[in-house]
Amino acid sequence: MSAAGEAQSLLRTASRATGWTGLGLVAVAVFLADFLARAPAGATGIGRMLEAPSEAHLFGTDLLGRDVLSETLHGLSETAIHAFVGAMIAILVGSLFGAVAGRFPRPLAAVLRSLFGVFASVPALFLTILAIGLTARFYAPIMAGLAAAPLAFVRAFDRVDTGSTHAEYAKATGIAATTLLRRDLTYEFRGNFAAAAARALAAVAIILSTASFLGFGAEPPARDLGLMIAAAKTSYLAAWWTAAFPALALLVLVLCARLAAGLEEGERP
Amino acid sequence: MSDILEISELGVVRAGLPVLERFSLRLESGESVVVLGETGSGKEALLRVVGGFCDKSDVVTGTIRFGEAEARPAARRGRPPIRIAYLPNPLSRPLAPHATVLSQLGRVVARKMGSPLGSAREELRLALERLPGGVTPALLDAKPGKLDAVSQAIALLAATSAQTPDLVLADHAMADLGPSAIAMLLAALAEEKKRLGFALLYVTGGLQPPARLGGRVVVLRAGRIIEEGDARRLIGGHAHAYTRMLFKAMPRLTLDRPKRSSARGQPLLQVHGLSFQPGTSSRDGITFELRRGASLALVGEEGSGRHAFLRAVLGFDHPPSGRVVFDAVDINILSQAMAARIRRRIAFIIGTDDSLDPRMTLWDTVEEPLRAHLNLSRDLRAGYRESALTRVGLASHQGSRPVGTLTAFEKRRLQVARAIVGAPLLAVIDEPLKGLDAFARTIMREVLTDFRLAQGPAFLVVTSDLSVAQALADDAMVFKDGKLVERGAIVDILKQPQDPATRALIEAVSLPDLSQSPAAV
Repeated sequence: MSAAGEAQSLLRTASRATGWTGLGLVAVAVFLADFLARAPAGATGIGRMLEAPSEAHLFGTDLLGRDVLSETLHGLSETAIHAFVGAMIAILVGSLFGAVAGRFPRPLAAVLRSLFGVFASVPALFLTILAIGLTARFYAPIMAGLAAAPLAFVRAFDRVDTGSTHAEYAKATGIAATTLLRRDLTYEFRGNFAAAAARALAAVAIILSTASFLGFGAEPPARDLGLMIAAAKTSYLAAWWTAAFPALALLVLVLCARLAAGLEEGERP
Repeated sequence: MSDILEISELGVVRAGLPVLERFSLRLESGESVVVLGETGSGKEALLRVVGGFCDKSDVVTGTIRFGEAEARPAARRGRPPIRIAYLPNPLSRPLAPHATVLSQLGRVVARKMGSPLGSAREELRLALERLPGGVTPALLDAKPGKLDAVSQAIALLAATSAQTPDLVLADHAMADLGPSAIAMLLAALAEEKKRLGFALLYVTGGLQPPARLGGRVVVLRAGRIIEEGDARRLIGGHAHAYTRMLFKAMPRLTLDRPKRSSARGQPLLQVHGLSFQPGTSSRDGITFELRRGASLALVGEEGSGRHAFLRAVLGFDHPPSGRVVFDAVDINILSQAMAARIRRRIAFIIGTDDSLDPRMTLWDTVEEPLRAHLNLSRDLRAGYRESALTRVGLASHQGSRPVGTLTAFEKRRLQVARAIVGAPLLAVIDEPLKGLDAFARTIMREVLTDFRLAQGPAFLVVTSDLSVAQALADDAMVFKDGKLVERGAIVDILKQPQDPATRALIEAVSLPDLSQSPAAV
């Protein structure tokens, strides 16, 4: 391997390690949100509205006098869990359908691949908003996952090339088609599951937060980082901390997920 | 004669490991030197240094002198002061896929000669006219993917010659082509060398170039020169033990080999009136019988119809007429599921690197037939796996290593290990030595022979090399232009070939230097 190649490989390994460590810390924050938060979720304080960060309130307070640190931790927790659910749906549905469709006869498979390619080129945010409109806000994580699935479909489809020489070779020696499918799925998931999951997590987190920010996703009293940033629109100029800390939490979540995916070309919602 | 190239004490260190050590070489005008070595012996590093395109991360020591110029540090990159032409292997895809061969080669010649594109194309046309093979500029006005490897090789040789070089660097230039094509191209290269007087530095892992080009041979192993000497002497056996071992893989035909009876055992594969070309009737079809443990080679050049016949025999393509019975079952009337059951008893060993799934691990690849077809305990599977890997020399490899990280030689042996655990009745062996260097060819032949002796499967060998056919099979069918032109015991075919196509195949692997030498290895 050339020096440039080695440096790139080293950088990718370091970024993955950093990303997974960061995601691990986010997971700890999610599980210990109630313990780490200084105040219960949603506890308002009439006399302490828009207080700047201080020893009593490390991240300050918002328009309703809520502790921003507590709200951000609970918001991160909810956003991360929803993004995780959506990401699982995206890669399971996309990869499974992609791997199966990769075994269709060549002309049909080519048509399917093109169709899903077109579908994948439509911003997943619009698809999510459309799907939420047709169902309910409650299903937003599922809809975001399904909207991001075509990208995983195209990826899996491209990787599972049943017309390849090794597939022909295996078939010629009597290896059954079901065995080959199982082999493809095993190696796809074993080799790419972690990276694909991290990529999808980043994509779905952005979709869900943006949908909530625009008013199509979660609604109060739910805690969601996009919703918190939207709520801070009126107070942001006077109290920067009300939007900056939730935005920072979202940035940490997405950045860690992208680093964990190895900084590969990811899905753009 | 004056020196065209002088390399002194050349050393190349890559990623902290020595690739080439204390390599010295003098090459005179018009002289040819063949650098022979197995994969990883340092040939590629040598070519890079001489061509002036060594990797920036390589640590290069020593000096290099071109023609009358001053000796300069070998680490210096850039264009050398003499005209050097590079002759690559067409199968390494040296040309871009989206432009025509003619336009690409025309530009190469124009750039090297500093001439307008029109006159460069004219030079290319003249060179093509001199070369055999009937390749014309009109034929080259197509993208590389549309041309066969031999035509591309002729085009590359023409482009090399059109540059009127002082030195030609041939990089495995004819490897993996059929023996007839190699013989033709090497003769053409020798002719062009004589006409233009260029020096030739030919690096190869195969044995045809030293045997046909003659001249000096430098044997490299692990970056060091093992020995250097006249090709005739080395081929004649007066050589270092390692060199003798390399030349063991030299194509050779044995006329005094005892004929083995192919009529032993029960019939395994019975073919009746099989025609594999559309529009032919069963009367023109081929009938033969392959008994258990017997062996048959399907011999012919690329495009001669061997593979079409094989596909028809194995039921991959439905033949226009005829009947194929494998292990007492007519395979043409079977459903896909039943055909898959029958094919479990057939193993394939193919001369391509992508026949195994690169994502699978070494152990999984060997165990897959056992897992798919048998219900064995884990311990038993591991036992079969270890035994097979030991027999092909891969037992010391890490079992979790992905197949994609193995070398071509390792992948080829892994195919044999996979075949061994499947205990096949029939082994289809398609160009088994293709793409392997001389050392690997020797080992691979032994591995396949051991497989046949120990397991006793019938062998169906597909090859364009009659010497490979003779090493692995007793009987042969010779194909030409989609037709069967000759069949019989290989020894008989070699003694009295009936068809010009067979005679051409024999000529392609008959090396005069070797046969004239009394001390042949």
